[in-house]
Amino acid sequence: MNRYLPLVIVSLAILSFATLLLVIIPGMQIAKSGASPGLKPYTVAEARGRAVYVSMGCLYCHSQQPRDEAQAPDGERGWGRASVSGDYAYDTPHQLGTMRTGPDLMNIGDRLPSQGWQLTHLYQPRAIASWSIMPAYPYLFAHKAKADPGDVVVKLPPAYAPKTGVIVAKQDALDLVSYLQGMKHDYAPPTDGLRDDGYELMAAQQHNNDAAKASK
Amino acid sequence: MTDKNKQDPRLPDETFEPYEEPRRIPMPVYWIAIALAIWGVVMLVQMSYSTKIGDKERASMSDQEVAATTPVKAEPKPDAGKALFADNCASCHGDAGEGVADAIPPLHASDVVKAGGASAITHIVMRGIGGPLIVDKANYDGEMPSFASVLDDKDIASIANFVASDLNGLKSTVTPAQVAEIRTASADLNPWDGGSGLAGLINGLPAQPASETAPAPSPDAAATAALAMHGTNEIWSCASCHGDKGEGTQTIPRLAGLAPAYLAKQLHDFKEGTRINDSMDYVVKSLSDKQIIELANYYGAMSSPSGARPSLEGDLARGEKIALEGDWTKNVPACFTCHGPSGIGVGDKFPGLAAQQPAYIAHQLAMWQGGSRHNSPLGLMAGIGKSLSDADRRAVADYLASLPPAAANAKLALAVSATTKETSNGQ
Ligand code: HEC
Ligand code: HEC
Ligand code: HEC
Ligand code: HEC
Repeated sequence: MNRYLPLVIVSLAILSFATLLLVIIPGMQIAKSGASPGLKPYTVAEARGRAVYVSMGCLYCHSQQPRDEAQAPDGERGWGRASVSGDYAYDTPHQLGTMRTGPDLMNIGDRLPSQGWQLTHLYQPRAIASWSIMPAYPYLFAHKAKADPGDVVVKLPPAYAPKTGVIVAKQDALDLVSYLQGMKHDYAPPTDGLRDDGYELMAAQQHNNDAAKASK
Repeated sequence: MTDKNKQDPRLPDETFEPYEEPRRIPMPVYWIAIALAIWGVVMLVQMSYSTKIGDKERASMSDQEVAATTPVKAEPKPDAGKALFADNCASCHGDAGEGVADAIPPLHASDVVKAGGASAITHIVMRGIGGPLIVDKANYDGEMPSFASVLDDKDIASIANFVASDLNGLKSTVTPAQVAEIRTASADLNPWDGGSGLAGLINGLPAQPASETAPAPSPDAAATAALAMHGTNEIWSCASCHGDKGEGTQTIPRLAGLAPAYLAKQLHDFKEGTRINDSMDYVVKSLSDKQIIELANYYGAMSSPSGARPSLEGDLARGEKIALEGDWTKNVPACFTCHGPSGIGVGDKFPGLAAQQPAYIAHQLAMWQGGSRHNSPLGLMAGIGKSLSDADRRAVADYLASLPPAAANAKLALAVSATTKETSNGQ
């Protein structure tokens, strides 16, 4: 090892080149494109609910990044259109997620708008889908003898309802559900929206081939 | 000092550092590096093409949104009416407006149009019409959907002027501004009640049959509405998912205006497990047969504007072709041969598809293909689902989402006392 200086310089250069291409330039592009025009900032309740979502680690099982028709049938699943960077402008930290143990939640407010459904599901997912492996979150709820005015009572089938009294939602559960109900990115994306369009060319070629075959 | 450092030549030299003469980098390494660089450039070029395609798709999505939300002020083009008529009216009224004997009245030389002119056409297109009607001395008793939620003021003006002048030789015309006034005044009203409903609108209307008396509201109507809007202690309200106006969203279907017998059959199928969906299975478990019929009548009698718009990036022209003509190279029959002209549904068995949520339609077709929905009578839909590719599913779903919703048909209401229930024949 008598030429460590050039070695260190070359390896630092490679690392900083990669940082420039993979972190700095994309960061600048994203900062320049800003929030999507149709995106609304979170309401106070939604922002609190988002904090609950982050702290409960929902991200470990749910992504928030529907893919394009060219990549996967996410649109046909009702998961919404492919997202672009501007859709996450108010999300720090973002909740993109890496695993889809459960469905994508980027447009859950559009697909399952029901507050009642969401509360039942958070209290006990197995009350709705017996096969579900999603954890129950009973500590977001309280067992009371009688609902007070203003309480939101959770609707439950007999098998999961308490023998006496009612289950009501705590503030955290209500906020979390407001956040989920607000997850609607149903406006058109900005034309210059940033996303990985890598599959589009392949899909377009496929489409042309199909059209050629059909017209034969 | 120098002596100590001096090596004894008989001992091995311990300070010796082995080194190699610098050697040339082998040629293959250069080749690999050059190949990688070329590959990188090719990828960059491909990527920029891909991004352009992606940008174009996004642009077409925002164009659609702009077209759907901004009122158009400009005067219509003179020949626009003919093309719009072909796209929106010809599937029922015929290419030249000749109508279909005993089913659909003519628009060419129609005495109703002649008496009412372009403004009456606008009123009819805006609200839709259903019930007994006499045109050119012939009796009709059909349903025409409202186009208020799918055509803008300019389009309706073009169509009305085309029908009035080109098909009936009238001078009367409407402007988009007049159409806008009619829209504000009446777009939310129920469809015209056949010929007798038109009597107040059109002076000198030829004699019309009396309207059918609407079925008496069920004594439980209030309880049914409460069930639909608020649910029970156990089940969520139908409206919380299907929407206050039964218009649906994403994979939750539009219910408004579907035939009650069809809706009741689906609810029974969920209950008996011949159709499977976790949320609906939960809901129907605690509904009685009577409640099912009441709810089916409630949604069947509901008229509401379209809540759907094309959103799956489907090819609308291809979708229209599949719906109207089918594709025999793939063994796909025309959807409208069963689901009715313009997809408004036929009788009890064939549900309306017009203005249905596109994600729901594509999802159901995919489920028939995969076999997880298998409750259509005689397996009619299973084969069709299997013949449609992913792109075709999205194309036909987006096209159907662009159509006006079927008007509610009060005649199809189920009798509440009916004890015989429709069950799936399990295919
Ligand atoms: C262990 C993994 C896991 C975790 C953690 C998890 N989920 Fe789920 N989730 C699932 C699975 C699996 C499903 C599908 C089955 C079902 O509907 O219960 C699901 C379904 C859902 C659905 C319904 C989606 C649909 O389209 O049907 C919602 C909403 C949801 N989860 C929200 C949450 C929220 C909010 C959290 C955090 C509080 C969370 N999940 C945490 C696994 C998980
Ligand atoms: C789904 C089929 C359908 C479509 C599409 C349709 N109509 Fe109709 N139309 C009908 C039926 C059925 C009637 C008769 C209703 C009745 O019996 O009360 C009717 C009646 C009419 C009438 C009054 C009777 C007459 O013939 O003069 C006019 C005017 C009319 N339609 C115009 C239009 C126009 C304009 C369009 C295109 C924007 C259109 N319709 C699209 C089915 C349709
Ligand atoms: C949690 C949300 C939710 C609630 C609440 C709900 N539905 Fe549904 N409903 C759905 C979904 C999702 C489907 C589509 C099922 C499928 O994919 O097969 C559906 C399908 C249906 C269908 C079949 C429609 C068709 O076109 O085939 C009927 C009928 C129906 N629902 C009626 C009702 C009634 C009546 C209520 C109230 C008692 C109700 N639903 C409450 C989510 C819901
Ligand atoms: C041979 C007659 C026939 C043809 C042709 C046909 N369908 Fe159907 N379709 C049916 C019947 C019958 C049902 C009702 C199934 C049931 O009762 O569950 C149905 C139901 C459906 C549904 C479910 C509606 C709902 O509300 O859940 C969709 C979506 C559908 N068809 C799409 C299509 C499309 C798209 C085409 C054209 C490619 C098509 N159909 C052609 C007979 C047909």
